Amino acid sequence: MMSIAGRPGVLSPYLQATKHTAKSLLFAGATELVPAAAPGGIRLAHTDIKIPDFSDYRRPEVIDPNKSSQGSSEGRRVFSYLFTGATTVVGVYSAKTVVTQFVSSMSASADVLALSKIEIKLGDIPEGKNMTFKWRGKPLFVRHRTEKEIATEEAVNLGELRDPQHDKERVVDPKWVIVLGVCTHLGCVPIANAGDFGGYYCPCHGSHYDASGRIRKGPAPLNLEVPYYEFPDEDTVVVG
Amino acid sequence: MAASVCRVGSTVGRALAKNRNPILLSLRRGQASVSYAQSLVGAPETRLTALDNGLRVASEETGHATCTVGLWISAGSRYENEKNNGAGFFLEHMAFKGTKNHPQTALEQQVESMGAHLSAYTSREHTAYYMKTLAKDLPKAVELLSEVVQSCSLNEAEIEQQRPVVLRELAEVETNLQDVCLDLLHATAFQGTPLGQSVLGPSDNARTLTRQNLVDYVNSHYKAPRMVLAAAGGVNHEELVSLAKSHFSGVSFEYEGDAVPLLSPCRFTGSEVRMRDDDLPLAHVAIAVEGASAASPDIVPLMVANSIIGSFDLTYGGGKNLSSRLARLAVEEKLCHSFQAFHSSYSDTGLLGIHFVADKHYIDDMMHWSQNAWMNLCTTVTESDVARGKNALKASLVGQLNGTTPICDDIGRHILNYGRRIPLAEWDARIDGRDPKVLRDVCSKYIYDKCPAVAAVGPVEQLPDYNRMRSAMYWLRF
Repeated sequence: MMSIAGRPGVLSPYLQATKHTAKSLLFAGATELVPAAAPGGIRLAHTDIKIPDFSDYRRPEVIDPNKSSQGSSEGRRVFSYLFTGATTVVGVYSAKTVVTQFVSSMSASADVLALSKIEIKLGDIPEGKNMTFKWRGKPLFVRHRTEKEIATEEAVNLGELRDPQHDKERVVDPKWVIVLGVCTHLGCVPIANAGDFGGYYCPCHGSHYDASGRIRKGPAPLNLEVPYYEFPDEDTVVVG
Repeated sequence: MAASVCRVGSTVGRALAKNRNPILLSLRRGQASVSYAQSLVGAPETRLTALDNGLRVASEETGHATCTVGLWISAGSRYENEKNNGAGFFLEHMAFKGTKNHPQTALEQQVESMGAHLSAYTSREHTAYYMKTLAKDLPKAVELLSEVVQSCSLNEAEIEQQRPVVLRELAEVETNLQDVCLDLLHATAFQGTPLGQSVLGPSDNARTLTRQNLVDYVNSHYKAPRMVLAAAGGVNHEELVSLAKSHFSGVSFEYEGDAVPLLSPCRFTGSEVRMRDDDLPLAHVAIAVEGASAASPDIVPLMVANSIIGSFDLTYGGGKNLSSRLARLAVEEKLCHSFQAFHSSYSDTGLLGIHFVADKHYIDDMMHWSQNAWMNLCTTVTESDVARGKNALKASLVGQLNGTTPICDDIGRHILNYGRRIPLAEWDARIDGRDPKVLRDVCSKYIYDKCPAVAAVGPVEQLPDYNRMRSAMYWLRF
């Protein structure tokens, strides 16, 4: 029973809804449930609770209270799930991007990376001449070959090579041979335009390389290494 | 297996009923005198007649010495609006306070001298006035009922006198937390629509309803096509019809200004309302989804589904051998004090739900397992569960009709809902035709991944957030 009879000032009488058999109720009769000038204060019965009108927040399909909500329920759910799914994908992708950016900031910086490539102006190298550059701590040979040298190298029989490689496999443009100037025997630097084959000669142990950088005579087992390079235009090569 | 035994039993029973072979009958000596199948087939028929003004008269002659006769009317809180919500309830209070021909004391004397009981109830879609009396007093009963309904005096002084009674009743209902919880469930589930209104009406209306409001209510809703005069017991249908003709022919079937009140559909909103009061000892929580209407074919599978979940309270002695899984959990984990699965169906919609009473530390677990039971129904319910549910449902349908009053009520409500009385044999057949796949499909249609409506009263701090409860309405599968 409501025990509000004797407590007009307390909070909503519903909070006091315990089972008090207040005899005073019988005499209070009609007066007990008449609100004592409380503006919107005392709620007397659960039927007085008004569910607020949420029309401002409703989707258009469910604003009309006289229309069943079943018909639109599938559509509304699909929309919600699609939206959530798309947002999740975008969110995960953004998170991945942010994390990658932070983690990759710890990798090598641009100036360090720049040292890994070298750009060479080919116009500076006359025909028949070999120029040496320092690249990644090693000597890099760039040789401007003559027609005669190209023809000679291309005509070599692969059977007589210790490390058989056709000239075409070792060059992009036959006019230019670009190899690492490190002897494959024990790492000395061969001398250009020396040796018996018109290429390079390693003075340490007498390895002879030809104009394509292939080993022809001497203790070295492999041809001179060909790095990755490309010709962004006619006059330049970028190695690395 | 139980289902097939049942089916075999019923076919055998039907065969026996046809043959009445004395040898076979004697073989069944020692069993119940009438088999279930026989009793279904042999149930008395409900006879239905309509008067000229549209009022329907229905009765079932059961051979009892007593009878229940009453008027069932399609009127209720759903037909009210904000201003007159509670008029039907108030009217029910005024009904027995005297009619034009019999002032209050005379009416009471008439009823008491017959040794009869005169009662009434109002629900959201139905109103009923009925009298339980001896079968021989049927004519008097019908006369008194006709007066109560048609010519209630609605005395101004009486109305004023009844106001505090109604207010006191409102106050008293506040202590019945189950009703409060279910009322709030309707209020939030059908918010903004007439179905969300409670039968009792707000206390303001109880204070301000006038005689004119009540008269208008009667004039707009107590119309012959919406009324059924139902009776069950030792009644003769022809006698009842002639009584109806003489007393109820005057009930009008026309509306003022031709304004026939049509029921528009009521929108269901997945929502929640929490009335938190930590001083109450136990929490009452109800969770429901939109269910099937009374006339929908899905009603039967949903009723079977509810029987599978079943009900429970602390007085059940089954312990961990109770058949419903949720009940077993309730016992083993001490989840709740009681729970019941319910389905309130109205003419075009319904509420399918679970209501439970739990201690404040177990609300979260109980809600989890209740929704788990729902998910189980939608996905993995088994043959044996379904067979058990069907049997329980059949038993309860039969068991409810244990007297002239429940039978009369059944007749009245059926005729208002379906236009005819659905006999037990038909219920039986409809229940039998369900297999687990049908059950899963129907339950998925109503329960799976739908927004529920939740109402909670009491120390409900532990009740999960609505989004958590919404997430529990589906399982991450595929």
